[in-house]
Amino acid sequence: MRTLMTVMIKELTETFRDRKIIINGLLMVPLLVPVLILGMGALAQSRAETQLESELSLPVLGADYAPNLVAYLSTQNIRIEPPPADVEALISNQERDVILRIDESYADDWRQSRAATVEILFDSSRQDTQIPLRRVERALVGYSRQAGAVRLIARGVDPALNQAVQVTYRDLATDEARRGMLLAFLPYLLILTAFLGGAYLVMDATAGERERQSLEPLLATPASRVAIMSGKIAAACVFGMLVLLLTLLSFKLSFTFVRSGPFAGMEVTMLAIGKLLIILLPMVLIGTALLTLISASVKSLKEAQSYMGILMLLPVLPTAILLVNPVKNALWMFATPFLAQNQLILMVLRAETISMVQWATYLGAGFGLGAVLWCIAASLYHSERLAISA
Amino acid sequence: MIELTNLHKHFKTKTGTVTAVNGVSFRAEDGAITGLLGPNGAGKTTTMRILYTLMKADQGSVLVDGLDTTRDADAVRRLLGVLPDARSLYKRLTARENITYFGRLHGMDEASIRINTDRLVEALGMADFIDRRTEGFSQGQRTKTAIARALVHNPKNVVLDEPTNGLDVMTTRALRDFLKTLRAEGRCVILSSHIMQEVGALCDHIVVIAKGRVTTQGSPDELLKQTGESTLEDAFVKAIGADEEVST
Repeated sequence: MRTLMTVMIKELTETFRDRKIIINGLLMVPLLVPVLILGMGALAQSRAETQLESELSLPVLGADYAPNLVAYLSTQNIRIEPPPADVEALISNQERDVILRIDESYADDWRQSRAATVEILFDSSRQDTQIPLRRVERALVGYSRQAGAVRLIARGVDPALNQAVQVTYRDLATDEARRGMLLAFLPYLLILTAFLGGAYLVMDATAGERERQSLEPLLATPASRVAIMSGKIAAACVFGMLVLLLTLLSFKLSFTFVRSGPFAGMEVTMLAIGKLLIILLPMVLIGTALLTLISASVKSLKEAQSYMGILMLLPVLPTAILLVNPVKNALWMFATPFLAQNQLILMVLRAETISMVQWATYLGAGFGLGAVLWCIAASLYHSERLAISA
Repeated sequence: MIELTNLHKHFKTKTGTVTAVNGVSFRAEDGAITGLLGPNGAGKTTTMRILYTLMKADQGSVLVDGLDTTRDADAVRRLLGVLPDARSLYKRLTARENITYFGRLHGMDEASIRINTDRLVEALGMADFIDRRTEGFSQGQRTKTAIARALVHNPKNVVLDEPTNGLDVMTTRALRDFLKTLRAEGRCVILSSHIMQEVGALCDHIVVIAKGRVTTQGSPDELLKQTGESTLEDAFVKAIGADEEVST
């Protein structure tokens, strides 16, 4: 235990004396957060405003077939444009989001009270299309309902008869939950910070020290190798948790400065920060133990760093899988690394209650995996090869 | 006292098995300086690494003050002060912090660390750089710090792998005097070197190693007698085999 503390203090002292590491490793993420929050908020708000309220330009093919419809659309804050030469090019070049095509048979169908065909051309894979598409749809449905009602009244029928069911909507999502959706990027950021926040320190403490040839004298002392390794892991954990704490405090501070936009009125309580830190603690342990394991088995610091690319992708996996295949929270999820952190962080952000069973499952699985990685790393630390640098 | 008996060590490499140490035996007495002399790649460093428990021998044994290095590795490490071939310092710590760190790892209390450090600073002449960060230290300052770090726990047995490597004449002399004090204090000192003059000027007992074997051993005078040569250099060349390329 004394060795562990000695090694930990030495590693932290060394790290904190390097100004570049302090700036890049400790302060970069916390400083980036306000920029992200304020910037994203402003951007999202201005886009929603311009798309919802500005006049929508809508090229119409065959406007001559339906002058009344076109005239109606003009009253809905939609500016009708003449038909373009190449419709598909216009969409694929992203010059217009939506194009309306009115069928030749429109006038005939209309006169004979048949459903007249109009066609909306758009690209569903583009996020930008959503708002214009919905505006055009709503305008067309409105026109259709209005004309339909007139027809029924002309035939002496109550238009309400046509509506067997009246659908109304009431959104029960809490304010926290709605904002939680906007913060979908937050779990990834936090998990990545937890997972690799101590990366520099822990790789340098094993692979770096070996490369600089200072590991051999260290291992020639009577201090146990497991204690030395644990001290290095502990130092990286302290560093990682410090980065996380600063990041979360930075979030708290940023939200208090947001006056408008989707993040306005958002608050990060100290309780939530505490919960998030507990959630991320096993992640920090898993990350540093895994990196120690890697550092102890490779030949150089460079080789250890080459694993960073793949490690950075790991936290994305659960989010990506959930995006494609959303499933309800189940207990097994809280035992799956990365997925568990993702779900728990979202729960904290949505101000949902985490049950004792969920806590126990999560912490048991998280620290369990950390302990397994720690044991493997410890066995590697005992190998003869480790100390021999050259 | 350190006793090595019939040490063997093989390494597996891509091209096959390399025999680094092939039956090395010798004894290093207390109050004497024993020199391991041999060309580069003779097996000196591997022998020493086995001796300070960093490697396990395939065969043979090492006793340090009667303790076996494989069975009582921890106890043996306590009895040894080791200056390995790889001996970098932590450059963001001061020389004193480097030494203190190792003192703590030896389980010493702060007061003893301070007393022993002051003693070593005095003996090695480190006063003007002891509280400076080691980044930018000269080779001599680095070696002195590394030696102080290795001896902070006041060990009875001292093992130094090529201690004078890269040092200028003045520092080498100072180091020689320091090693002689260690001998006078009754410690058992083992050092390795590929430089014949150095071993000749300092050692009471010389063990010549070539290709993983002890080719000859004895006092400088005995070596001259055994080889029938008039100078130590000739004796060394003859002892390691004429076909060896020697760097002196």
